[in-house]
Amino acid sequence: MTEVLPESKSDGTYGGALLEVDNLHVEFHTRAGVAKAVNGVTYSVNAGETLAVLGESGSGKSVTAQTIMGILDMPPGKIASGEIRFRGTDLLKLPEEERRKVRGEGIAMIFQDALSALNPVFPVGWQIAEMFRMHRGMSRADAKKKAIELMDRVRIPAAKERVSDYPHQFSGGMRQRIMIAMAIALDPEVLIADEPTTALDVTVQAQIMELLAELQRESNMGLILITHDLGVVADVADKIAVMYGGRIVENASVHDLYRSPAHPYAKGLLESIPRVDLKGQELYAIKGMPPNLLDMPTGCAFHPRCPYRQEKCVTDVPPLHTISGTRGSACHFWREVLDGDAQ
Amino acid sequence: MGRYAIRRLLQLIPVLLGTTFLINYMVWQLPGDPFAARCGQRPCPDAYINAMRAEFGLDQPILVQYWHFLKNLLTGDLGVNFNNVSVASQLGESWPITVRLGLMAVVIEAVIGITAGVLSGLKRGGFLDNVITISTLILLSLPVFVTGFLLQWLFGVQLDLIKPTVSPEAPFGELIVPAFVLASLNLAFTARLTRTSIIENRRSDYVRTAIAKGMTNRRVVGVHLLRNSLIPALTFIGTEVGSLMSGAIITEGIYNINGIGGLLWRAVNDHDFTIVVPIASLLVLVYLLANLLVDLLYGVLDPRIRYE
Repeated sequence: MTEVLPESKSDGTYGGALLEVDNLHVEFHTRAGVAKAVNGVTYSVNAGETLAVLGESGSGKSVTAQTIMGILDMPPGKIASGEIRFRGTDLLKLPEEERRKVRGEGIAMIFQDALSALNPVFPVGWQIAEMFRMHRGMSRADAKKKAIELMDRVRIPAAKERVSDYPHQFSGGMRQRIMIAMAIALDPEVLIADEPTTALDVTVQAQIMELLAELQRESNMGLILITHDLGVVADVADKIAVMYGGRIVENASVHDLYRSPAHPYAKGLLESIPRVDLKGQELYAIKGMPPNLLDMPTGCAFHPRCPYRQEKCVTDVPPLHTISGTRGSACHFWREVLDGDAQ
Repeated sequence: MGRYAIRRLLQLIPVLLGTTFLINYMVWQLPGDPFAARCGQRPCPDAYINAMRAEFGLDQPILVQYWHFLKNLLTGDLGVNFNNVSVASQLGESWPITVRLGLMAVVIEAVIGITAGVLSGLKRGGFLDNVITISTLILLSLPVFVTGFLLQWLFGVQLDLIKPTVSPEAPFGELIVPAFVLASLNLAFTARLTRTSIIENRRSDYVRTAIAKGMTNRRVVGVHLLRNSLIPALTFIGTEVGSLMSGAIITEGIYNINGIGGLLWRAVNDHDFTIVVPIASLLVLVYLLANLLVDLLYGVLDPRIRYE
């Protein structure tokens, strides 16, 4: 592995962030036209840091993650421009064999629906052990022992007895634990969790998030948490990137975002969370529909739905204004949004 | 699984009883007297016909005849045919040849069909995919007897690569082309089934997971994708073993192979139920066992299917 990664984990001498997505553009070429799924996304995550990427379906958050992982379906997907630097090396320029070695070893990923993401015809232990057998050349017996250890680590009861069971024999929460065990098997430096709790019960969601946070503390990995659920993010994330229409519209710390969002979309998301103290009142919903990627609105992609809209929004694409430090908002009128006086 | 297998085996008994009874009954219903036309150009004397009917028990009610059939079957005595030749020895000669032909066809069907299906599914829309799709379409649209005569004429007569007909012992090498002919329809269907299921599973989440795990392309396709995509093809191949054996009759006719096909053909023309009934019963048994095997194999291939 060391020959692939420019710096080994123990040295950690690379100056920049562990993983940096830099001005990434991804398109889908379909019969109906070119869908611009990701339009200049830039974010980074450091060791031990949790970045939450927030956005609704079609905002480009999963496509960005798939591009980092190198599992984007190409075609129809196409990386138009941009860089994805892992320890300073642009993954998009690596030959496929080198790229493959980064998957699982350097960057690992867990998916939303563990039932379909696990192979239905192989025992779960076999699927975890495969990581050790293929990446580390371990024997079947040793790899199986490792798999049991990992299943213990993600707190699957009676791991030893269940190692030969198949995915369908587990509950949803247990299946997601198996996905997690598989992803952390080789101690990756970055873990991408694509909606890891969306398919689960609320109580199980909390357990899975706790487990992820705990594993992150133990191994100091960088965590990219992709979700559309603000509630999931609050306790674990260090910083949040809010995505809309394939762009990052707001960068903020969890605290800042919750206290005073600087983009109308982020504000709308926060206001649409049901709150106990407002029981009985009508729940706020962002009006309109997510943008059609084949036919993006001119100017700011959010303008058709935006309560702060002015003429400028229809014509000019707002840049990501720096508010303070790493905080940013892609809104022409971020000051008004911060002050909270909607038109 | 073991209990399920035993239960299924026990279920075979009533099915076999029912089918063999039907076979016995229907042979008896065939028009024409089996003995009336056995004396060349002139009609047979009544005395001969009556003697033969008595010898083979045709003068008795159908249930009694069936009882004799069962008794003989269980004691392993298949008796003699109308020409006084041992039925067991005739079956013993021809049955292994047909089984060999059938097994070769199954192997050809599985190996070529699945390989072609995988290759064309992986490179969907590519040159190879088009070649395979067109050739399977040709195979599917040609009846077996056309493929049979065509290959016999091409390889046997024009190119002189094989003997146009198979010698009585039916050695392995001479059976390759007939086995291919016998397999051709199922082969094309297997290729299509495999292609569809490869295309379908290629975009599946678990394949994406395997890539994300950093598995080599060879392993992603050869282990994760293939294992899931084989299930429909293997089910099809298994359930078709029975019809393959009966389809062998035409192929055996074309290549003059000494299998049960020829034997059955002659026996049907002669109304010789002493041969027809055991062969038909054997085919039923093969069909039932092949189906049982597929059901059991299905549980092995796909762990989501469990038998109580």
